[in-house]
Amino acid sequence: MAFLKILLDNLRKGPATEAFPFGEATTPDAYRGKVTFDETSCVGCNMCEHVCAGGAIRFSEKEDGLHFLIWHNTCISCGLCAHYCPTKAIKLSNNWHLSHLQEEKYEQVDHAVVPYRECTSCGKRLQPGGPMLHQLAFKGANPRSERLMNMCPDCRRKVSYIGEAV
Amino acid sequence: MKSFDMPVGPLHVSLEEPMYFRIHVEGEQVAGIEITAGHVHRGIEYLTAKRNIYQNLALIERVCSLCSNSHPQAYCMGLEKIAGIEVPERAQYLRVIADEIKRAASNMFNVAILAHIVGFESLFMHVMEAREIMQDTKETVFGNRMDLAANVIGGVKFDIDEAGAAYVIGQLNRLEPILVKEIIPLYETNASILSRTRGVGVINREQCIDYGLMGPVARGSGYAYDVRTAAPYAVYDRLDVEVITYPDGDVWSRAMVRLREVVEAIRLMRLCLRELPEGPLTAGPLPFIPAGEAITKVEAPRGELIYYLKTDGTDIPARVKWRVPTYMNWDALEVMMVGDRISDIPLIVNSIDPCISCTER
Repeated sequence: MAFLKILLDNLRKGPATEAFPFGEATTPDAYRGKVTFDETSCVGCNMCEHVCAGGAIRFSEKEDGLHFLIWHNTCISCGLCAHYCPTKAIKLSNNWHLSHLQEEKYEQVDHAVVPYRECTSCGKRLQPGGPMLHQLAFKGANPRSERLMNMCPDCRRKVSYIGEAV
Repeated sequence: MKSFDMPVGPLHVSLEEPMYFRIHVEGEQVAGIEITAGHVHRGIEYLTAKRNIYQNLALIERVCSLCSNSHPQAYCMGLEKIAGIEVPERAQYLRVIADEIKRAASNMFNVAILAHIVGFESLFMHVMEAREIMQDTKETVFGNRMDLAANVIGGVKFDIDEAGAAYVIGQLNRLEPILVKEIIPLYETNASILSRTRGVGVINREQCIDYGLMGPVARGSGYAYDVRTAAPYAVYDRLDVEVITYPDGDVWSRAMVRLREVVEAIRLMRLCLRELPEGPLTAGPLPFIPAGEAITKVEAPRGELIYYLKTDGTDIPARVKWRVPTYMNWDALEVMMVGDRISDIPLIVNSIDPCISCTER
């Protein structure tokens, strides 16, 4: 008999499920969905590839830069890449709209090129590094540190040793 | 009286997990059982020695869905022990919150399935709907309904800010009255539930100790063993955890232990959110794990979960081994089932809250 009251209450409340796809489905901000990648803040440390449990992330070095590749079908949304990324270039969005046809499964790939830089002093090819890394390393920026940021370690040492004149 | 053998399983005995029994029956009564195991062996322990310590966090979490937070927690504790990593206090509190929210959802799931087996579908739906409050909370705070991905080596990778804490407390305030005023009284008084579960699948305290039983199964027989008080980890030593026991050792007692533990989990979560200290979430960026061995244990929703870890100085573990409570609880089915009716088999199997995917990994 005690259950009759619960039944009546539930009847009054109506369906407990969401009306999706005819209505909006609530998605929390923290939901771990599709991975997004920002090539401007990637520093090419490859940590995301190292920790990726599903082997969804691949880096390859080519002439024009570091090629980043993620195959969403083998990503398990564990968020380890985002956690270990020092500059937060790789993140998990709350986008869960990942359904697709079977024949499109090998096309669920995002590709980005992280270009190499050139030393502003000697022109040597450098690993990528961006403002995010700069912020992380120096906890702020000034014209001097910004100038040094775009040099290779050798030139940087020279400038620091001889002075700003170089 | 006619006696014969009948197969039960391997699919959907009570849960959607493969369990295969050969039941020796005399008339309507169970006279003996034989368990055939190994239907979902996936070689996960072997796989852990083929992946690095970070990848294993995700792999180990996927051993089982319902205790998916306890596995990485025990694994991280082992690595932290080997490397001598001090986990920050805030992370310790957050680990308890992750642990308890999983316990609440897991226990409610099992109790709901009990109603389903009894045939009380509307109660099943009602408990599952209440459990959905916890599922929504997990999705909002951790980003997923089942795999929280809360633990990393040296801390946690989620945070609860002030707004988050207010949200979680609001959700707990929604769940608690439904649980205390509706669900628990129903399981205590409803005639269909009581007639099917009282005095069924009985195991006494001494048999529990003989079989090495753990978790709500042992506590339902009056054996007050809980890792959270026997060997406290994280900050459980400061939380004064109440170990819930029932004396009778039947299907009903085990369900009641689980329900009361949800109430206790709600109290622990509230306490942790109130006392959550400020501070970092992890101990340093990347850990160095030297060669070593460690044994850790945590209280999973099903009982004591033990991890053994051996590392060799690389970031690929040499050996990871775990023992799950279902391993022993499963064996004790031969005590619980004998003498009971054939129709009670699914109820008794469900009452140990079997987790076959953990056990056979």
